[in-house]
Amino acid sequence: MDANIKWLDDPETFRVNQLAAHSDHYYYGDYDEWRRDDSRFVQSLDGKWQFKFAKNPRERVSEFYAKDYDSSSFDTIEVPSEIELNNYAQNNYINTLIPWEGKIYRRPAYALSPDDSQEGSFSDGDDNTVGAYLKRFDLDPALRGKQIRIRFDGVERAMYLWLNGHFIGYAEDSFTPSEFDLTPYIQDEANVLAVEVFKHSTASWIEDQDMFRFSGIFRSVNLLAQPLVHIEDLNIRPTVTDNYQDGIFNVDLQLQGEKTGNVNIRVVDSDGNTLINETHPVAPTVKVQDQFLENIHLWNNHDPYLYQLLVEIRDDEGKLLELVPYRFGFRRIEINQDHVVLLNGKRLIINGVNRHEWNAKRGRAITMDDMTSDIKTFKENNINAVRTCHYPDQIPWYYLCDDNGIYMMAENNLESHATWQKMGAIEPSYNVPGSVPQWREVVVDRARTNYETFKNHPSILFWSLGNESYAGDNVVKMNEFYKEHDDSRLVHYEGVCHTPEYREQISDVESWMYLPPKEVEEYLKNNPDKPFMECEYMHDMGNSDGGMGSYIALLDKYPQYFGGFIWDFIDQALLVKDPVSGQEVMRYGGDFDDRHSDYEFSGDGLMFADRTPKPAMQEVRYYYGLHK
Amino acid sequence: MAYTNKLRVIYGDGTLGLSGEGFHYIFSYERGGLESLKLNGKEWLYREPMPTFWRATTDNDRGNGFNIRSAQWLAADAFHKCVGIKLTVDGQEFDELPIAPITNEFSDAVFATDVKIEYTFETLTVPSTTTSVTYEVMANGEIKVTMHYQGHKDLPGLPVVGMRFVMPTVATGFDYQGLSGETYPDRMAGAKKGVFHVDGLPVTKYLVPQENGMHMETNNLIITRNTTQNNADHSHEPFSLKIKQTDRPFAFSCLPYTAEELENATHIEELPLARRTVLVIAGAVRGVGGIDSWGADVEEQYHIPADQDIEFSFVLNAK
Repeated sequence: MDANIKWLDDPETFRVNQLAAHSDHYYYGDYDEWRRDDSRFVQSLDGKWQFKFAKNPRERVSEFYAKDYDSSSFDTIEVPSEIELNNYAQNNYINTLIPWEGKIYRRPAYALSPDDSQEGSFSDGDDNTVGAYLKRFDLDPALRGKQIRIRFDGVERAMYLWLNGHFIGYAEDSFTPSEFDLTPYIQDEANVLAVEVFKHSTASWIEDQDMFRFSGIFRSVNLLAQPLVHIEDLNIRPTVTDNYQDGIFNVDLQLQGEKTGNVNIRVVDSDGNTLINETHPVAPTVKVQDQFLENIHLWNNHDPYLYQLLVEIRDDEGKLLELVPYRFGFRRIEINQDHVVLLNGKRLIINGVNRHEWNAKRGRAITMDDMTSDIKTFKENNINAVRTCHYPDQIPWYYLCDDNGIYMMAENNLESHATWQKMGAIEPSYNVPGSVPQWREVVVDRARTNYETFKNHPSILFWSLGNESYAGDNVVKMNEFYKEHDDSRLVHYEGVCHTPEYREQISDVESWMYLPPKEVEEYLKNNPDKPFMECEYMHDMGNSDGGMGSYIALLDKYPQYFGGFIWDFIDQALLVKDPVSGQEVMRYGGDFDDRHSDYEFSGDGLMFADRTPKPAMQEVRYYYGLHK
Repeated sequence: MAYTNKLRVIYGDGTLGLSGEGFHYIFSYERGGLESLKLNGKEWLYREPMPTFWRATTDNDRGNGFNIRSAQWLAADAFHKCVGIKLTVDGQEFDELPIAPITNEFSDAVFATDVKIEYTFETLTVPSTTTSVTYEVMANGEIKVTMHYQGHKDLPGLPVVGMRFVMPTVATGFDYQGLSGETYPDRMAGAKKGVFHVDGLPVTKYLVPQENGMHMETNNLIITRNTTQNNADHSHEPFSLKIKQTDRPFAFSCLPYTAEELENATHIEELPLARRTVLVIAGAVRGVGGIDSWGADVEEQYHIPADQDIEFSFVLNAK
């Protein structure tokens, strides 16, 4: 198969040859590697890559993926990083309007008519910047002779991949891992990997998040070798019995590779006691079923107790082939007959924040230090919950939330604000995904990927279908996907508040954003049939966060109110050198001559962009401390 | 002859001088206020303290149109029209300001125990209302300052009601007894009560410069500087001014910039070099709000309605 640039125009083509999404478990060759977190099966490709930028598809370098291509004219770029922050393309911050507002007239394919394919909309788009990336590498000796795949943790917004001149695949969905099998074309030495990254595709309509608009390989890239037998997917299902004391443990393993050997599955508590220890022969599916565990230790914000799952795969001689550790927790979330949300049988209160991934110098290419620093800030300020607005985050963040008892609303990568709201008014004439058939699979796939990747994290209490995307049959399908696959979490979606006709089909909870306290109370006073939350509230732009007490007081009056997520955690501003003063200064939308812009509207954090707290933080710490 | 328990009164032809042990004040008849506040030889005023009615608009203010509804308070903050001065010495009010020839019979040795001078201003609003600022100077040098805002039902809500003092040089810091951190009427529940020291004059680095640095519920405040503009002053020893509450606590901010300077900047680095200390003592502060930043107003109980009188006082050079 050859790559086709027309895929950029086609909402029905969003993954080509991409491996199926699976759980985010790490795997090692032995216990020592686990302790050092240095798996023999992983080779990082982060670092310097060759790079060539083009302003639009017509001007891009052609066939740069050919094995003998002369790339001497290429620059170098750091992977991961944002193309714009390397100063190839203009920085732009824009909120609800689409990035090509006032520049290009476009409509989403098929939104207005089933015949309207909008061919050329992006494949020939004047604004569609292109990054050609080349990486030359030798396989680490430990990876040679094995099945090899490549994983891109995040690429905005559409990418084509070649290895040694052969087309490998195509991916969208910028914020979830994209994996491809490289085995047929990989060599021990002198491999040439080529990635062509487009800033825009049909995905741009549904990734219209309120943020700086970047592109590029902005998260890590790794080669992953497969042990002789490999756990491709892990589905841990710890459930809590009706007495909230005992647990039932299930796990399904999907295996690949050789068909011989044994799988040992152990569950160990934090004192080192082995609670489950089963060995099964290697098979495509291996399960531990309905193991009853008496007096389990429940997981919650104050006591994020995790059990250790250890899966060992050994060959017939007993040699360890693969070790998969995973820490999981027992917790139960439900809505009772009074429409109150319960966690482990007790009322759940969300003292939450929305968190974009942000680093003032690196954009969304954030570091592990940024993540651990954010968790520390959460713990210091009684923030017990996070909404991953408005896309899945880097994988380590989910583990950090498990370890630290942070309740998570795990949101899909979906926002189509520009297609249904115009100057503050609802105007959904060309809304996608809506009920447009050609936009169904792409959004269900995003739900699937979010679920499959993160399903084992106890911290996730809510799946969120997306942000500000209105509602139609396709969002119903996303809701159905989660309901069919996961009975251990609730589903959240705010957009349905604009489409009451879908209210019965979408979202377990009533969610609004920025509803004033008096109107929240109106809902709560009138026999609510769904528990209520604010997925965004207390807009912390500039000097703000006044009047928080009016919301917190409602928690004491109405058990159906279970709190909300402050907008938001950190100012999104860029630290750049000021040519006038020579100092490093914070810059926001419009400061790069970018128009249309929404200027300082991304400065809404409880934290300044340099990760120091705003003065309002002491207020949040106080109010969030009242219902810990 | 020295009266340590009395004020020395110097009747000038454009000013009134008052002095005592460690202090010397000059009230201007032409410039609408206290022109000089000198303590132990150090000048504390760059220009006369004036009523202040504006705060650099917050994102929330702009989002809900408060800046547009209340724009006339910006003019009222920038310019001041003094329409009357009343002087009372030891209970005796002068019919007209005492300059020559009325004062020709006075001498260089006039003393009093209590001097009160009241400045009346007409606000530059449509319609206008009046405010008065009264300085009551005690024999020990304490000055009780009282500001009275006369409510008017046809005026828009106020951003702030206070007095602005601009001091000649940048303070090295300040100490206060009150609430921790930056607080506003609708954002002070999380603050701790205590005594706090702040180094320098930090401007909270909001992305777009705006109102910042307010401290509600303050009992007293000590500002410390170590420089003056006096070319003959070669000392860099720190010296301080203490301000304390009267019957109830006050709010204050202590920054290197006026509201107008903050309002003019779109980035923090556009603010001018810090040269002064700008102290606002406020009797009423508008909340910052937070429901959203594109329409929702500050909750009503944290507005400053224009139709009610507001009076507050504090003591300068508190002992």
